[in-house]
Amino acid sequence: MRATVFIGITLLAGIICGLILGGTNLVVTEPFIDQAIDIEIQNAIVEGENIGSIQEITKYRIWQKGGQVLAASILGLSLGSLFALVYAFAWPSIPGSNGIKKGLFLAAIIWFTIFLIPFLKYPANPPTVGDPETIFYRQSLYLVFMAASGLGALVLAFLYKKLNNKKSRKFIVPVLYGAYISAIFVMMPPNPDLITTPMDLINNFRIASALTITLFWFLLGAIFGVLWDKFKPYRKVTSKL
Amino acid sequence: MSTVQVTIESVSVPTFVLGILSAVFLFGMFIVGYDQGHLFNVVVGEQAFDDLYLHELYHDLRHVSGFPCH
Repeated sequence: MRATVFIGITLLAGIICGLILGGTNLVVTEPFIDQAIDIEIQNAIVEGENIGSIQEITKYRIWQKGGQVLAASILGLSLGSLFALVYAFAWPSIPGSNGIKKGLFLAAIIWFTIFLIPFLKYPANPPTVGDPETIFYRQSLYLVFMAASGLGALVLAFLYKKLNNKKSRKFIVPVLYGAYISAIFVMMPPNPDLITTPMDLINNFRIASALTITLFWFLLGAIFGVLWDKFKPYRKVTSKL
Repeated sequence: MSTVQVTIESVSVPTFVLGILSAVFLFGMFIVGYDQGHLFNVVVGEQAFDDLYLHELYHDLRHVSGFPCH
């Protein structure tokens, strides 16, 4: 494998998708975050807290909104790296006749296991939801659940390759994953924090965030697949006498 | 004497590439999803846990991507 080409297309796909995610979020999810922060400010005023001036709050929000794009770029590089490694290791076994099809297939698997399944148990929440006292506990829950789902899928992918009967493995492996993740789903404790924000806002935010993260994953699969086919990092041409 | 071009196809990922991309993955996940002042704590000490500069910079995306934020 040509290492520099592989690293190059990985980082390029990651940063492109990250920038698109950040830009899309500015339009799609920021209005809900603004609404939630307005509620947070109103609550703070009612409780007699010093919230600072309007100028300070505006400056603060510009910092956070700018950070949305930067953070999405970093997340793109990070998740793009994970995606590329799995893609390279699994490439011969991924169904699909070209890079895009293989990329989309793998993106669907990773999106399902490390985003959708954790999202169903611990859905995204806008600001105003979350007690700072429980942050490390909630972070641990999310990390454990995401790792359990992702690693479970990885182990089952190896099992899928080991099973010789092609017909039965297409049935056995999804059933095993379903049973495993259902057990984890039931065993893991719920998010401990109460939601006091209007559910309309919470639900709209969750739908918007799920849409942009889903868009990110499938774009990553498609763009990485295109770059993989175009630059062929697996192909090396050498001259011999 | 003539030269022959040989095309080799291999998807074997070199160890150093595995190391670099794993590091990018873990570092990115940590700072976007989990940092609560830990990274700047190395430079500015305990004050980083109160200032939360990186946390606030990543605040909006952290909410959107599903990570608990505060």
